[in-house]
Amino acid sequence: MRSFWSGTITFGLVSIPVDLFAAVVPRQKSMKLVDEEGHPLGRRYWCPKHEKVLDDDELVRGYETDAGKMVVITDEEFASAAPEKSRDIELKRFVAVDDIPPYFFDRPYFLAPDERAGKAYALLAETMAKTGKAGIGSFVMRDHEYLVAIVSEQGMLRAEVLRYLDELRTPEAVGLPKAAKADAARVRALAKEIDALAEAKIDAAELADLEAETLRKFAEQKAKSGKGVISMADLEGDEDDAASSAQVIDLVQVLRDSLGASAKKAPATKSAAKKTNAPAVKKAATKKAARSAG
Amino acid sequence: MAARAIWKGSLVLGKHEVPIKMYSAVQDRAVHFHLLHDKDLTPVEQRIVRKDNGREVAKEAQRKAFPLDGQRAVILEPDELAQLAPESDRAIHLLRFVPRDALGDEWFDRPYYLGPDEKGDADYFALASALAGKERIGIARWVMRDKRYVGALAVGDDGYLRMTTLRRSEQVLDVPAVHPDKARTPSPAEIKLAEQLVDSITGPFSPEEWHNEYRERLHKLIEAKAKGTKLKLVAAKPKEATSDLTESLRASLAQAKGKKVA
Repeated sequence: MRSFWSGTITFGLVSIPVDLFAAVVPRQKSMKLVDEEGHPLGRRYWCPKHEKVLDDDELVRGYETDAGKMVVITDEEFASAAPEKSRDIELKRFVAVDDIPPYFFDRPYFLAPDERAGKAYALLAETMAKTGKAGIGSFVMRDHEYLVAIVSEQGMLRAEVLRYLDELRTPEAVGLPKAAKADAARVRALAKEIDALAEAKIDAAELADLEAETLRKFAEQKAKSGKGVISMADLEGDEDDAASSAQVIDLVQVLRDSLGASAKKAPATKSAAKKTNAPAVKKAATKKAARSAG
Repeated sequence: MAARAIWKGSLVLGKHEVPIKMYSAVQDRAVHFHLLHDKDLTPVEQRIVRKDNGREVAKEAQRKAFPLDGQRAVILEPDELAQLAPESDRAIHLLRFVPRDALGDEWFDRPYYLGPDEKGDADYFALASALAGKERIGIARWVMRDKRYVGALAVGDDGYLRMTTLRRSEQVLDVPAVHPDKARTPSPAEIKLAEQLVDSITGPFSPEEWHNEYRERLHKLIEAKAKGTKLKLVAAKPKEATSDLTESLRASLAQAKGKKVA
């Protein structure tokens, strides 16, 4: 099993070596791309001038300046932009978890302790749990910097990727109108509707993937007719998936190995989906292939 | 310049309907690069090809296959998928209102602003005001552009409504409960020291203090290289794990007390 990133969390002079794993998986309804006969399809880079498919190691990244000049940035140069951040998450500030507005949260990861983490991992997890706080820091992974809030849940540390402030629009930038005075009677009427719908908890059924269920039902029905049925063996284990989703999460094993921990519950969702995926890679919007960083 | 609304609809709760416009609340700041062929820097294109023979497959001949189980998948034709697409009634249905902490942060996916539609200014701000008094978030479902969404409706300190789409229950992995063995369990004294250390660098969440330094440095690096400056390359050095925890905590505390955090 492979982690996305390995590095060190530091707070004060304490350092904790950790590995980063995905805490969310792709939606169930994600489908495989095939041709009309069911042959698996993949995305490839194509050089129109040499008329050939290119491997990853034949690609370089170029930035087009305003003057129209193409500046090539090498992998080493990307790595050189912030070398210390590619290894460390320095927690420079602690905040109350409740102070972070929900729209800052982007994507969660699990942090598993490295075997060398010793007591420090449990120390930070327990301190975060006891105080209801999150440690804020940033790090670089795959040529992007991420702002994270390190939070604790059931003894496990999670890195919640946060959006930077400049990635969020302000109401002024969106052009929302200034608040109008609300009619007190209307406010009361709407407050009553809210009270009528008030519940203590969420209902998991309300968060179910209805699209996936609809597709599954239809696909099962269609399979009975035998039409369009293809073998999964041809679709899986290909190189496209190997890069992004081949890892099967067995966090419990990772925790046992590194912490001597008795981790009781296997990480599983309702559907027991166990495949994880790389952080969503942006698809090129134009025909020309592009990649982002930063 | 004001942003364009991505969708128009109505918030429906009970017998009330509040007309709204929806706007993306996030903006892309990433630095975008062209992918080039290393030989002569020709911009490359993406092609969808058959994996077995590398031949390009036109858009019209591409299909989607739904995996039934580990063994089989079923090809779904475009007309079948179109027929399965949910119908939009332009209504955001509020299902329930729960306390803010009923939903963990891992559920939040993508935030949108809801703004008033011209004809419903007063209702919009009445709902925002009603919700602001409740410390609750609304769980909502709607269909937008042939896709189903689940979201959490909240009101910000600025008085505007926001809808954050939620991940589906199948996407969020459960946390395994961790109980470290004795050798890796910190002592009460160590926890106390850690709490003091955390307290000493605790402050409000101030997002304006955090900048994407990597992105800023990347911009500078590109600028320098465009001018033909030779770049100095630096590699990362891994850190050592803490060996004496109590000693590290004490030293950290002394250091933190020395320079008070602003």
